Amino acid sequence: MSHFLTSQLAVRNSLFWVLLLFLSPFVPANAQRVITLRLTDWADIDEMPLDRKVISEFHARYPNIEILYEPNPGVQYEEKILTALAANEPPDVFLLDSKLIPTFTNKKVLLDLSAFVQELRVDTTQWFSNVTNIARKGSALYAFPKGFTPLMMYYNKRLFREAGLPFPSDAWTWDDYRSIAMKLTQDTNGDGSIDQYGTAFTNYFYFWIVWVWSSGGDVIDPTGSRATGYLNSQATEASLQFLIDLQRTYKVAPSTGSWVQSEKTGSTSQLFANGKIAMMIDGHWRLPRLLRQVEQGGLEIGVAPIPRSAGGAKVNVMYESGWCVPVSSRHPKEAALLASFMAGQEANRIRATRHLEIPSSRLVANEMVVEDTHDVERAFIAEVPSCRQPWGSVVERFSEVEWTLQDAVDEVLVNGQPMHATMTRYATKIDHQLQNTRLSQTSEFKPIREHSEILGFLITVVCIVASASALLYYRARGKSRRATGAALGFLAPSLLHLTVFVLTPIVFAGYLSVHRWDVVVSDKPFVGLDNFRELFSDESFLNALKNTLLYTLNVPVSMVLALTVALMMNRRVKGIALLRALYFLPSVTSFVAIALVWMWIYHPTFGVANFLLHLVGLAPSAWLNSTNTAMISVVIFSIWLGLGYQMIIFLAGLQGIPEELHDAARIDGSGSWNRFWHITLPLLKPTTFFILITSLISSFQVFTSIYVMTAGGPVGSTDVIVYHIYQSAWEQLRMGYASAMSWVLFVIIVIATWIQFRLLGNQIDYG
Amino acid sequence: MKRTDKIFLYMGLIAIAVSMLIPFLWMLSTSLMDELEVYQFPPKFIPSVCKWNNFAEAMTLQPFGRFFLNSMIVAAASVIGQITFCSMAAYAFARLRFHGRERIFALYLGTMMIPAIVTVIPAFLIITTFGWMNTYWALFTPTMSSVWGIFLLRQFFLTIPKELEDAARVDGASDWTIFIKVILPLSKPALATLTIFAFMGSWKDFLWPLIVTNRVDMRTVEVGIASFSNLYTTDWPHQMAAAVVVMLPIIIVFMFAQKYFVKGITMTGIKG
Repeated sequence: MSHFLTSQLAVRNSLFWVLLLFLSPFVPANAQRVITLRLTDWADIDEMPLDRKVISEFHARYPNIEILYEPNPGVQYEEKILTALAANEPPDVFLLDSKLIPTFTNKKVLLDLSAFVQELRVDTTQWFSNVTNIARKGSALYAFPKGFTPLMMYYNKRLFREAGLPFPSDAWTWDDYRSIAMKLTQDTNGDGSIDQYGTAFTNYFYFWIVWVWSSGGDVIDPTGSRATGYLNSQATEASLQFLIDLQRTYKVAPSTGSWVQSEKTGSTSQLFANGKIAMMIDGHWRLPRLLRQVEQGGLEIGVAPIPRSAGGAKVNVMYESGWCVPVSSRHPKEAALLASFMAGQEANRIRATRHLEIPSSRLVANEMVVEDTHDVERAFIAEVPSCRQPWGSVVERFSEVEWTLQDAVDEVLVNGQPMHATMTRYATKIDHQLQNTRLSQTSEFKPIREHSEILGFLITVVCIVASASALLYYRARGKSRRATGAALGFLAPSLLHLTVFVLTPIVFAGYLSVHRWDVVVSDKPFVGLDNFRELFSDESFLNALKNTLLYTLNVPVSMVLALTVALMMNRRVKGIALLRALYFLPSVTSFVAIALVWMWIYHPTFGVANFLLHLVGLAPSAWLNSTNTAMISVVIFSIWLGLGYQMIIFLAGLQGIPEELHDAARIDGSGSWNRFWHITLPLLKPTTFFILITSLISSFQVFTSIYVMTAGGPVGSTDVIVYHIYQSAWEQLRMGYASAMSWVLFVIIVIATWIQFRLLGNQIDYG
Repeated sequence: MKRTDKIFLYMGLIAIAVSMLIPFLWMLSTSLMDELEVYQFPPKFIPSVCKWNNFAEAMTLQPFGRFFLNSMIVAAASVIGQITFCSMAAYAFARLRFHGRERIFALYLGTMMIPAIVTVIPAFLIITTFGWMNTYWALFTPTMSSVWGIFLLRQFFLTIPKELEDAARVDGASDWTIFIKVILPLSKPALATLTIFAFMGSWKDFLWPLIVTNRVDMRTVEVGIASFSNLYTTDWPHQMAAAVVVMLPIIIVFMFAQKYFVKGITMTGIKG
């Protein structure tokens, strides 16, 4: 209904504009021109109406500025912004996560808003100063803050009361925390296994860095140039040991898998909400949902600061986002005005109704504390003065370091490696990464339209393909020429499509592999074979290569399974259509639903798989949470997921086998095994061959399963090439390096495919 | 195979089928739950009260009607394009003996071997060069042909007995006539397979429609579904309700197409 109304409004609006267009010659020349700005953020369904409201307020005040609101889903928002920048078509104002600030400011993608502060009379003191400072570099200001959150310890009041424990005080220490966690870890139903844990811990860097800071340690030096002497310092190691011991030694935290499993699916917060974990660390974003649960009864929560180490300082971290304007905006002043309005008091007040984050405006934040009936906001605000900005907002390409740090923790947490040796080893690795990043910081922003370049590639490739086809035709003689002409006719549409949408991008990727390209700048310095040289000395790439080869071993297993299923489904039995549909279901079901259910199956502490092992008297497995079993767990999942796809194609292939052949053989008295071996299998060869080749290619390119289930962990044990390419391209913005990796992968797949063709391909008989 | 073996095999088959049902059941039950009920661990499979309203809300919180229209246009164009262009190319590769056939086919196959992750940006740059941002052209033209589909059909065309073609050729039929009158009618299972996968491929695509559209009214169903979650939390009931509705067209296409998998083809003129 509401959407009918909006379309009505849209019609009325457009009528208005049409009218205006006709009247425009008669409008006095001094009337202000109407300009249009595009605004993008990652608002979800609940936030969109709030943002629309803010925008309409803005438009009411500045009627000569029209806003095109372009919300994007939070998933792959970064890719969206990056590609828009690469094509030099970014929105005029967009929401920026603080982790992109160093990259975007170093590459001079963002407009310095401080130039407009005076002119537009933006009151920068309205915001919490340390929140604003996250986007400040020297005297420049690159974003107006939207909102932020520190990290807090959520606790379940009921469990505290039942155990006769006082609630945590603002000044509680690590020892207090651990002893409380020990008291809250219980076997409530007396079946001999723990079912209520004191707390939770994962390798998630975002969550554990606060503990390290609290002990006076850090992971890198203040200038952000090296980790040695910091990551392997006594304070840092002691704090990590303290956290890891919660799980390994004291067993007051369940083995929940890495953060990919526990945070992405929200299983830690689910366990918390269900009283299975008494204390957990989380941000403000978790609050609205937990409070709804509190309001419905059954859950009572409290919020405390993260405990301090004995004698350590009070410290917290601040994760924020802000509104920024790209330098390429055609209306910088108006865009800056819009950005300041989006971060202003009115906007903050409208958005605060949703409680997703702490408003950047001090006034609105304090109003939120006053109106808070659950007594939780006060604790959040009290943290603000001691909040530090995260490393990600200071050091370019820090995500690479984050992944390495998580691996380092997993080495000790999952693999039980000694602390000091591990941290020293990883510190060296991070030193190297930081050095590489610094070396590449020479690019400058040159606002050139990218189009001419890609157009050049397109025209060149089209010409080459066209002349090659012509050559092919004229070199053929006699009968062969007629066939070649006919074939080129049949191939023309697909060849044109391939050339424009596939071949040209591939050639462009080839060009990139010998260049360096940061995506957001158009400058692409030539680096020769440097990318390839770096590749083959990159241990993690070689590890990913090894894992990818291991992963492809699933192909024969899944094919045998799929063929078996297809053979049994290839009958006219009642209900067979339904059974077929069931096997096809995973290909259709929402992938997040599938991932979620499998996370639950594989959960090391509360999972179904271990429950089944327990039933048949086997020892539990760590599944995704161990370097030994993670890959095989992913493989099992992938086989399950891909079974339907392979089955369908086998089924289609089986239809091509004439029943007369089977009937004849049956009359001859040959058994079903015999018939399968001598009739079905040979005649199914083209299908089998197709499935083999395509499955092999897609196994070499496995990505989604890894991205969702393990993010390459633990300790790189499931890192595969395409995941590696993805991280280089989209997280580290090293498109040249990523392209080089793609070409190496290409060569490997070509060789593998060529071998298959040699072994099987030429033996197809034409019936 | 012994009878008991067969029974075990079927039992295994059904067990796997049930495991494939579980995520779907979770999806279905979540779509009917109150938001707070979802937050159970281990997950709950039966909602205490069925909130049918979730479906109506999920479809109206965003212009899902428009998303469906967009996805339908894109998927239809993709299916029609792939059935036409892929089968034509496959015919050339499977049935015509021409100069450079193997090399061109190798080139086609080779393009499958570069991961799409690195070609997304150049492909997007091409689209913006054409000025196709926010248009249907940008959404469907890249999906109108696929090497995967060409390869699939080529393999099926290879199995069609040459005698059928020769007979037609003796009657003076052209390549085009043979393609239309002989090859295509005999390839229904393969064409049905391609229909399913082409439809599904464009229906479920997320990253490409996200990148080539800015305006909400040009978005597709999969992007609409993703809008039910933000960076940290997800509105599971509404997201799953939308996902259930969105998967219905694929199920319908599947059920229609799979009929062709039971009509065993009776071929004549085959060597015994």
